[in-house]
Amino acid sequence: MQGILIFLLILLVMGSVACVMFRSKVKAAISLALISVILSIIMFALGQFWAAIFELSVCAGLVTVVFVCAVSLTRPDRHNQEVEEAYHKKVSGLPVFMVILGIGLMIILTMGNFDFSVTVDAAAQVRTFNDVFWNTRQADIIGQIIIILAGAFAVVILFKEGDKA
Amino acid sequence: MSASLATLVYAFIGLPLIAIVLLNLPNRKFAEKLCIGTGLFVCIVQMATAVIAVLLLIEFNKASMSFSQFWDMHVADDAAYFSVDFLSAVCLFCIGMVGAVSFAAAGSTVRDKILNYTNMMMVLLLGMNGIALVTDLFSVYVFLEISGIASFLLIALYRDPVGLEGAFKYLVMSAIASAFILLGSGLLFLEFGSLRFVVLEEMLQAGVYNNPPLVWLALFFLVAGFAIKSGNMPFHGWLPDAQTGAPSPVSIMLSGIVEQMSGTYATMRLIDIFLLNKFTVVNIGMMLLALLSIVLGAIAAVGQTDFKRTLAYSSISQIGYIVLGISCGTVLGYVGAVLHFFNHSTFKSTLFANAAAVKNQLHSTHYDDLGGLQKQMPIAAATSVIAGLSTAGLPPFAGFWSKLLIIIAVWQTQGAFVASVALLASIFTLAYFLRIQHKVFFGPEKQRPAVKEPKDGIAIASIALSVVTIGFGILFPVLLLALQTQGVL
Repeated sequence: MQGILIFLLILLVMGSVACVMFRSKVKAAISLALISVILSIIMFALGQFWAAIFELSVCAGLVTVVFVCAVSLTRPDRHNQEVEEAYHKKVSGLPVFMVILGIGLMIILTMGNFDFSVTVDAAAQVRTFNDVFWNTRQADIIGQIIIILAGAFAVVILFKEGDKA
Repeated sequence: MSASLATLVYAFIGLPLIAIVLLNLPNRKFAEKLCIGTGLFVCIVQMATAVIAVLLLIEFNKASMSFSQFWDMHVADDAAYFSVDFLSAVCLFCIGMVGAVSFAAAGSTVRDKILNYTNMMMVLLLGMNGIALVTDLFSVYVFLEISGIASFLLIALYRDPVGLEGAFKYLVMSAIASAFILLGSGLLFLEFGSLRFVVLEEMLQAGVYNNPPLVWLALFFLVAGFAIKSGNMPFHGWLPDAQTGAPSPVSIMLSGIVEQMSGTYATMRLIDIFLLNKFTVVNIGMMLLALLSIVLGAIAAVGQTDFKRTLAYSSISQIGYIVLGISCGTVLGYVGAVLHFFNHSTFKSTLFANAAAVKNQLHSTHYDDLGGLQKQMPIAAATSVIAGLSTAGLPPFAGFWSKLLIIIAVWQTQGAFVASVALLASIFTLAYFLRIQHKVFFGPEKQRPAVKEPKDGIAIASIALSVVTIGFGILFPVLLLALQTQGVL
């Protein structure tokens, strides 16, 4: 488990760097969704199931939907030789940087004596969804309601108003 | 006491929710007429309630108050609930203040999208109020997501290419930051079994943790996540584009408060827990991030050719000062950081409000199109001078005192070299501010159609904020004396 977690952590950091560097918005959206999925797997492995569900639903779900909507609204980038060249020059060192980053992270995480074994009180793990949701995460319920509201407004702003225009 | 607490709940969480419902019930045309008034009412009530909260805390000699009237949130021992302390009260006041300025600017800038703007502003206020009120790191993450989505939609409000580009970059960086924050929180939970601030602080003080490398890793991810959210160098890539692409009232919110609440406030909470508990390596990392932001942000601001873009880089530099104050890990640095937080909200809102006024008249913020506006826009020119001098940290303006406290704290903890670098960076601040004045308000008048400064909400907001900047600067010694009397300093 330790080895898998280290691998996923490295993948997460490297995926984040790649996501920022992608010029294609579609590739950025896909890598962002993948980062969220990797994070959800890490959270599951760490025994934090509800956080994993939240990440999967809100980040991998809602944010990606909003993201793809934004992509659909933008016009495809016109081919511009100068811009292309500038971009390729900018990212030419990226593969080398990614390899160094990956090796560096691997060294730090394997030599750093990190213990990812779940040590949290076992009683906390057997709580029911009902107990966690209604009795301990009440502030977050309000947060969830507001997120749903934000999602509804996103549809109005990005689609309904756009259709009128 | 309990009645007062119930009122606080309605003001900070209930009032924006009620406003959303009320604005979306009636006929759209009628609702649009109510938007600005409703927004201003919500923000002003929030400011008043934040002041009442501070008075209640002093009156009852309490460090914090939690809400239980509206909904019993203490069912379980480890329940996530809302609470107000001095820091969150200052932040809630700033949120209300900057929100009010944004609504004042919206009347003449986003009139055609006013209902969508108001709805999303209410969601944004809820998100930021939530960040200030929660007592648990996971809840901070939940409300950060709300602020992120609301900010994205506000930036993309007009769906124009520049706005969408800015919104797109903001969403990518914000989502990555959120992933880092959630991961860091998860690792902390693995070690401590709780994410409540109080529990973390107690366990750190008692030394109840047996895997320090894991705590370091968690702190690395958390600090990186919050640094991205607040636009610290080198994670600042999204900020100038988002600021420039956003409609003017949204730029006021982003620069005046959103960056600070999403990144800096959360860092303050973390530092409150970790640095004061001698996790000293974190403060070195944060100090380096802060210095990088202060110096490079200021240098980059000098080279910009757009009013709003210059202000965006200025925000990076000024937020660097707040992080530098926090990184000291002392009470003096912390107080300086909180005061600079407040001052930054004030002077940056003034400058962005003036940028909104200029854009409203000339439909551009590029320096080539501006210049010689001093005679036509005297209020914007005068208030920009006040805000700019406060940004540069010149006496007697408010910015001087907060920077002074931060630099003294840095001198005491991190030595003369770091303090000197921070002090010298203020020269660059003065340089880009003088450049703004020269390029926008002074200098030769350009050939263009007649420009007239409207006596609208933007002008009133700029004047009010300038009064705060001067008044706070003059009265600051009194506040300092009060803090000393209370034993804070």
